[in-house]
Amino acid sequence: MVRVLGWFAVVAVVAGLAMGFGVAPREATQGNVQRIMYLHVPAVWVAYLAFIVGFVASIAYLARRRNGADHLAHAACEVGTLFLGVNIATGAIWGKPTWGTWWTWDARLTSVAVVFVMFLAYLLLRQAVEDPERSARYAAVLGIVAALNIPLVHFSVYWWRTLHQPPSLLKPGSSSMPGSILTALLVNFAALALLGAYFVARRTRVLADEAEAIA
Amino acid sequence: MPDHWGFVAAAYGLALVVFGGYWRWLGQKERELAALKRSDPPSRTSPLRSEPASRPTRP
Amino acid sequence: MAWKDLVVERRSKETLNSLLFFSLALLFVFQFTLGPDRERLAAVLPGVLWLGFILSSVLGLGRTFMVERDNDCWEALLLAPGDKSAVYVGKLVACLALMLVVEATVLALFTVFFNVDLGPALPGLALVIVLGTLGIAAVGALFAAMTSQVRARELLFPVLLLPVLVPVLLGAVKATEALLLGESLASVAHWWQLLVAADVVYIVVGLLTFDVILEG
Repeated sequence: MVRVLGWFAVVAVVAGLAMGFGVAPREATQGNVQRIMYLHVPAVWVAYLAFIVGFVASIAYLARRRNGADHLAHAACEVGTLFLGVNIATGAIWGKPTWGTWWTWDARLTSVAVVFVMFLAYLLLRQAVEDPERSARYAAVLGIVAALNIPLVHFSVYWWRTLHQPPSLLKPGSSSMPGSILTALLVNFAALALLGAYFVARRTRVLADEAEAIA
Repeated sequence: MPDHWGFVAAAYGLALVVFGGYWRWLGQKERELAALKRSDPPSRTSPLRSEPASRPTRP
Repeated sequence: MAWKDLVVERRSKETLNSLLFFSLALLFVFQFTLGPDRERLAAVLPGVLWLGFILSSVLGLGRTFMVERDNDCWEALLLAPGDKSAVYVGKLVACLALMLVVEATVLALFTVFFNVDLGPALPGLALVIVLGTLGIAAVGALFAAMTSQVRARELLFPVLLLPVLVPVLLGAVKATEALLLGESLASVAHWWQLLVAADVVYIVVGLLTFDVILEG
């Protein structure tokens, strides 16, 4: 089943690349460097989706204490951190030619950086606690706190400063993007989401096998 | 505005390295676990755990 | 749980003294690094103030479960009957009280050493400081319990605490900044409302999950 998911992901990624480089037009103001967005934007959506999965799985673990929920929470938070890291790095690579700088402390970048560090801390906690049962409990609590903190981080940082591109997809009313660019974004989102799901599924399985091996 | 294909390549290349690296790391873990299982077949003296609660404790 | 409260506070006299000396040392370092430039000082004062608060908190909170751990009371805590969330409240109130004492002292010292007039801003400032410190204590008490049983606790505790507290720090610093510039409390409503929202979230989560930490 995991392998099937993997193959779907491969197909979707190829489709995404085709859309991003073949179908989508050269952007008017930025030029072709804008094509990095087809990787950068879906990555953060997938990351946040993963953190939500981790949040739900953490609650599920604390409620029923099923090890499967713990493994899922761990895998989801790990994969989410991975995708967020890719988002930050590709954002910096995009920013250098476009804004002239690798980094700036604007709202979006700062929020994402804080969330990234929060979940890095989650992974660190996982490593630091040796007893598996205690690790599961503590990480679940942290996973819940961190996920609930995401909107707080975004609001606080957004009010602190706003320099990033105005969010074009979540604006009420019609999207301000030409149709083919939006389609390319959505296809790439599906691609990265499938890739993320494949990674989470495979990582969960590895964690379950590891737990069995220790037991 | 110039196209900066170098940066585009760098971004996609980075993603390839990161995701590819993670994929390989997962494969490595799976191989280690498979080797462990082969060299030390688990002997099940007790029936499969039916209750979802705690992990089995060592006697 | 008030008993637990008082005991913890009496034991933290040593913590209180250390924190006060630490804050004083920080104050001197800030003076040396910032120099006599009045304008620059006024601009960075809110940030510097809260930086001092958060650093003292990391030190003080990090130790809050050390007493139990060192005296092997941890197991007693785990086995004690009754609702464990009462322990959380006790710890929270004790930490809050300790931190507020340190912060009030630091604030007083700031006004003296840097010749700042707090007068009209004081009530608003007090509210912001209490709300901010409550947030720090709420998360800190939970994470301190968590890390007290981990080997690398001195390192892990600030690593867990600081990213989570970014919204609280941001809100507190921006509100303090505005208040010190003479603006009204109403003009920073969105900041202290954010602090209230954050405090509510952290305390509720703390109350709900503290027993989970104390399972072992």
